[in-house]
Amino acid sequence: MKIQYDTKKNLAERIFLLEILKGLGLTLKRLFSKSVTIQYPKERKELFPGFRGKHALIRDPKTQDTRCVACMRCATVCPARCISIRFSVDEKTRARKVESYEIDALRCIFCGYCEEVCPVNAVVLTEEYEYSNYTREPFHFDMERLLKNWDEFLEKNKVDPDQYRNPFLRPRGLSIGDLPVGKRIDVPEEWTLEGQVIWKDGKAVSAKDAVSE
Amino acid sequence: MELLWILIKILIVFAVVMFHVMYATYFERKVIGHMQVRMGPMRVGPHGILQPIADGLKLFFKEDIIPTVADRKVFYAAPLICLISALSAVAVVPFFEGFAIANINIGILYIFAMSSLASYGVVLAGWSSNSKYSFLGGLRSSAQVISYEVAMGLSLVGVMMLSGSLNLTDIVHAQMKSPFKIYLIPQIIGFFVFVIAMFAETNRTPFDLPEAESELVAGYCTEYSGMRFALFFMAEYIGMIVMSCLAVVCFLGGWSGPFDVPGIPFFWFLIKVYFFIFVYYWVRATLPRYRYDQLMALGWKVLIPLALLNIVLTGIIKSMFG
Repeated sequence: MKIQYDTKKNLAERIFLLEILKGLGLTLKRLFSKSVTIQYPKERKELFPGFRGKHALIRDPKTQDTRCVACMRCATVCPARCISIRFSVDEKTRARKVESYEIDALRCIFCGYCEEVCPVNAVVLTEEYEYSNYTREPFHFDMERLLKNWDEFLEKNKVDPDQYRNPFLRPRGLSIGDLPVGKRIDVPEEWTLEGQVIWKDGKAVSAKDAVSE
Repeated sequence: MELLWILIKILIVFAVVMFHVMYATYFERKVIGHMQVRMGPMRVGPHGILQPIADGLKLFFKEDIIPTVADRKVFYAAPLICLISALSAVAVVPFFEGFAIANINIGILYIFAMSSLASYGVVLAGWSSNSKYSFLGGLRSSAQVISYEVAMGLSLVGVMMLSGSLNLTDIVHAQMKSPFKIYLIPQIIGFFVFVIAMFAETNRTPFDLPEAESELVAGYCTEYSGMRFALFFMAEYIGMIVMSCLAVVCFLGGWSGPFDVPGIPFFWFLIKVYFFIFVYYWVRATLPRYRYDQLMALGWKVLIPLALLNIVLTGIIKSMFG
């Protein structure tokens, strides 16, 4: 096999270095284009829904406590095993009560499985991402800290807890019957099975049609 | 009185050149930044306008590190050789009518001599650092400068033939009297060779092999730090300015322009020099580095024959029409 390092050029291209001139033209054009830099502390990138940031336990507006029912699904699904839960069982009603809920954020890989699998939408990854620190200690979230994370997130971003929606709280493209009761919340049309559009065989089709086929 | 006037001239030119060096670094970062769809320095002052001052302060207060195995005397001398030879070359540049620190008859030769001396600084820095990167950088620099010095000298022979002088002021005057007003048109081949040799002579991209940061760390100035490094840096930028001035004086008619700007006799000169400096940045943002053998092939097999051809053509034209 002959490798052609130097592409064939005609006489004009050889003498007047047309390729170099083309390159110079491109850089000159770019000189007058708008730069893509985001001046970070002053400007911030707009986050998409479903951004996986700092962990929080949603504080239920009614009980002012976590919704967690200690089903252990999040701890089971977690690929990094960063969630550890202890619970007690009521002797009479056999109901579980969470004793402690801990997330080691330094082990977390931010896959979002925990919030996706949670049947009562108790654990969530908020859009907060600026929480670097100098020691490991602040990254070990206990239940109190996780609830506080939620409060801080609401306060900082002026979010109404009843209106907060995140694609993991109701996974997209599933019919309402496939979801646990706690995840049957109102979401924008395009998140539902009927409204979601997916790409299949080079065509944009409704997710529902794609599933029924 | 004469001496005092010369001293004042030196002071003015030194201050102006140093100011230009400061802001050449700033504009280089800005221009290349915007060409790469970035912003360049933005934090120190509005749009980073005070960045050169911050850089200068930082370099000034940095620790001066000298390798234990370095040849100390040569190590100290090398950046000074670079800077002094670059600065002395500015002395013969005529900025406007009747303003040159030294209006000597061998102006072009003097600039060549000084730019060759500057390469001694590079070679000695490479040798005295006692480091393989510096050594390779110095080695490449000597080969490169020797090869391109020849082409550069030959490319200007055409200009000397047309103007009949080596004095830079006389060359500008001769251009004003010539039919095209500038030597760019009759000397287009010479100009082409000169511009390429100019890039190589100042060790700028695409011929920045002596400092090739992706292969040689920083080439000959790898082991230098703080103010000594800054001296090399300044020498490089002064070299760029001197070469741009030389190009303007020899090919673009020096301080003459399409119309006179009242009160600012050096207006056109500055505009033309800025254009060349911009071209330096422009080319740096566009072209990758030449390979060593390509560099040598270009210098010896293309530029020198072209320059010789230019001399022959100029001679024929001169004997027919002049």
